[in-house]
Amino acid sequence: MLTAEDYRQSIRDGRASYLEGRRIQDPVTHPLLRVSVDWVASTYEQTCSAGPGARNPIFDQPATPAELDEQMNFLIEADVTAASTAGCMALINVAPRLAEADPAYRDRLERFLRRCREDDLRVAAAVEDGGELRVVRRTKDGIVLQGAKRHVLGAAVVHELCVVPSGAVSEADADRAIACAVPVDTPGLKIISITTAPRAEDPRHFPISREKSIPDCTVLFDEVFVPWDRVFLDGEVAYSAALADALGTWERARAAATLADEAELIFGLAQTIVEMNGVPDAAHILDKLSKMAVWASMCRAGWTAALAYAETTESGMVVPADAHVYATMAYGRSLFNEMVSYLHDVSGALLLTCPTVADYENPETHAYMEKYLRTMDGVTGEDRMKIFHVIRDLTADHYGGWAKISNQMVGGGLHAQRMATLRTFPSEAAKARARRVARIPEQ
Amino acid sequence: MMTGEQYKESLKDGRYTYLDGKRVTDPANEPRLKAAVQAAADVYDSFHSDDPDEFNPIYIMPKSIEEFRERERLLAKGRGDMTLGTTGVILLTLVTAAPELAKLKPVYREAIYEYIAYARKNDLRCAESITDAKGHRKLRPSKQSDPDFYVHVVDRTSDGVYINGCKMHISGSSVGHEQVVLPTKAMRPGEEEYAIACAVPVNAPGVSVIDTTYAPYGEQDPRNFPVSGHRSSPEGFVIFDNVFVPNERIFLDGEVQQAAVLAHSLGLWERAAGVTHGGAGLEREVGLAALLAEANGVENEPHVKDALATLVIHSTMCKAAGEAAMANGQQNEDGILTPSPLYISALKYYKNEFHSKLLDILHDIAGTLTVNAPTFADFEHPDLHNGLEAMLATSTLSAEQRLRLFHYLRDTTADAYGGWSFATGQLSGGGQHAQRLVTMRHFDMQNAKSLARRVLEPAHGDEA
Repeated sequence: MLTAEDYRQSIRDGRASYLEGRRIQDPVTHPLLRVSVDWVASTYEQTCSAGPGARNPIFDQPATPAELDEQMNFLIEADVTAASTAGCMALINVAPRLAEADPAYRDRLERFLRRCREDDLRVAAAVEDGGELRVVRRTKDGIVLQGAKRHVLGAAVVHELCVVPSGAVSEADADRAIACAVPVDTPGLKIISITTAPRAEDPRHFPISREKSIPDCTVLFDEVFVPWDRVFLDGEVAYSAALADALGTWERARAAATLADEAELIFGLAQTIVEMNGVPDAAHILDKLSKMAVWASMCRAGWTAALAYAETTESGMVVPADAHVYATMAYGRSLFNEMVSYLHDVSGALLLTCPTVADYENPETHAYMEKYLRTMDGVTGEDRMKIFHVIRDLTADHYGGWAKISNQMVGGGLHAQRMATLRTFPSEAAKARARRVARIPEQ
Repeated sequence: MMTGEQYKESLKDGRYTYLDGKRVTDPANEPRLKAAVQAAADVYDSFHSDDPDEFNPIYIMPKSIEEFRERERLLAKGRGDMTLGTTGVILLTLVTAAPELAKLKPVYREAIYEYIAYARKNDLRCAESITDAKGHRKLRPSKQSDPDFYVHVVDRTSDGVYINGCKMHISGSSVGHEQVVLPTKAMRPGEEEYAIACAVPVNAPGVSVIDTTYAPYGEQDPRNFPVSGHRSSPEGFVIFDNVFVPNERIFLDGEVQQAAVLAHSLGLWERAAGVTHGGAGLEREVGLAALLAEANGVENEPHVKDALATLVIHSTMCKAAGEAAMANGQQNEDGILTPSPLYISALKYYKNEFHSKLLDILHDIAGTLTVNAPTFADFEHPDLHNGLEAMLATSTLSAEQRLRLFHYLRDTTADAYGGWSFATGQLSGGGQHAQRLVTMRHFDMQNAKSLARRVLEPAHGDEA
């Protein structure tokens, strides 16, 4: 297992990484990227300190609902690349199907996954097409890729990219039905990062994003050679959709789980600030808080159901129930922005205009800020300031904007989540019930 | 009238303003205030005239719909400058309330009109200092654990008064010239010291302004921030520490029964400005959604067409309410025209209630490129340009156009400025609850009930 320091050294491999038009020389010390590196390193710290022989939850194959719960709790707290790596491990479920196309695919995939586990690597999921990604040449040694993948979370700070088709591919486009593993320092691979790390000199104004920031990457493939040993699918369009779906299992699960957590946090921030403001029982405040409580309850219920009704895959792995994961996301995300508007409404505009920690510490303004940010005995200006800063960073600033859209688009967006909920809904049982109630005799 | 350069110089007047923990002495050259100052300076330049009788149309107080529309037309080139906007709102607020205040003391109306003449002559920008610190929201101002939680008079001489307190989220205060202080709500007998309305120069002794701003940090390529890179407005946390106000700058002093008239008047103009800025409709947002759908090749998908119809209906209703607000406008005794508070509040509530869903629709159509589109510097990098060009170009939009579209959407809806807009659109001019209260207050409930009571009358065949 890698230590945090091992990990930091391991990504200093000369990868072609760019940010705001400049080549990044060293991700470990880059002022913005280092926030992500530190976050990933902290997870390595955690898994490494569990001692040799301890199981690394990322590489777990949960065989019972209790093991699934334990792994999910870990993945929710850990950095995003832990979940993308666990998602890649879940591809083992698709291996039997890939073997139908070619047994070599299964063997190569299994070897790759074993190596990830043994070498304690991090893998990012390259699913969404940027334009397109296709095989432009095949040689006896491997394939050459050209094109782009987008929204590859963590590409700049992981070791491997797991490339899969973004969805079903038609026969005419078979060159796009490509799945493979590509090391990030492969020649021709260029990673362009966007980050939500704070740019302020004093990051204390950004209590959330100063720690939790992952690069959102566009990955260009410019004549990228991939040896056959790393190719898991090439042209067999019948299997092209299954890979994205499997790879997305943990991404979707993590999205539903963090939604439940986030909904509770948003409610908690609202309840806290209304108590600090002195109006927890005003009728219109109760109205909004109650809507947020229902929302948070239902998000939690949805995720709980996803775990309670966990399904077992062909390979014996236990995964959260898809139908509940989709429904939780579709419900929770469709109301997210509305709930944030209630949070803003009950907070008041100090969520935006509360001055910085630096202003609070400035002797010329400290006394004024403490005096006017407090509201009553028992509520200090400093505590109220901290709450306002969290609300802003989480929901009304750079990171909040990125997170809102990134989370909304998991599984394809609000519309797609609704359609997936419909697709996975137990329709037959519902129809049978309708016919029974209408006293239509069973066929 | 001032030129842009003269305006920039006028800000170096010894005021105590702060940003990110440091004192600011030259706002025009402060990195995160530059854009706000430049926006105001550009407006000064575009309206400038050497004719001593000329003045900025913001100082016209319209007395008819025609005058109102003409003033809007003249001010069109002033959009993008917050300080011009707040000046208009606060001065209209004062003249709207002037007749009521004159009933208390004629000198108040005189002071208001003289102040406006002073501001007009010196081409000054004024901030709306309304929102108090408030402390414990349930307690009256005089019952708070700190009497300064609402701005109040703490001392007086024959020449004027001294005030203490803090006004919050005051847009543009540190880059304007004047703060017009108003009571934030109605006051009661026993709260005379809190019924104070007056004008205070930003550099008056005892005034401190701690700014926050959504302006980008550091040396940012403004192309990645197409709106907030060019214009922004700081919000001031404005402290009044024993600040002297001479009599001629006082518009209300102790008359609690009229404390609310100014707050109501400000609320009306603030809301009107918020919802009718550029027209009450949302045609631009609709167009943006349609363009983004094309940019992503999804314009023919049924659910996208459906979403666009939702946006069009919403925009049309907002526009209708904006028109109704002006058509049902009222004039006060001095002939000053105000839009209908009933329609303005209902419109603000309605527009805002749907706003979070409107953004969800825009974001769902646009997708994650909104937040992860490469920067322009990435696009121009020789190692990356060809790959990004191939990735971004479509049959209807060039790569660069597509990039600009997504950066615009991110800047305005999913970044610091986007977050500020979202929260401010809802909170300025009072939150949703306030809009409901005002709408109810202006709705003719008596008439509604008498219409309903007709169903209790004996039936007369097909009478409606």
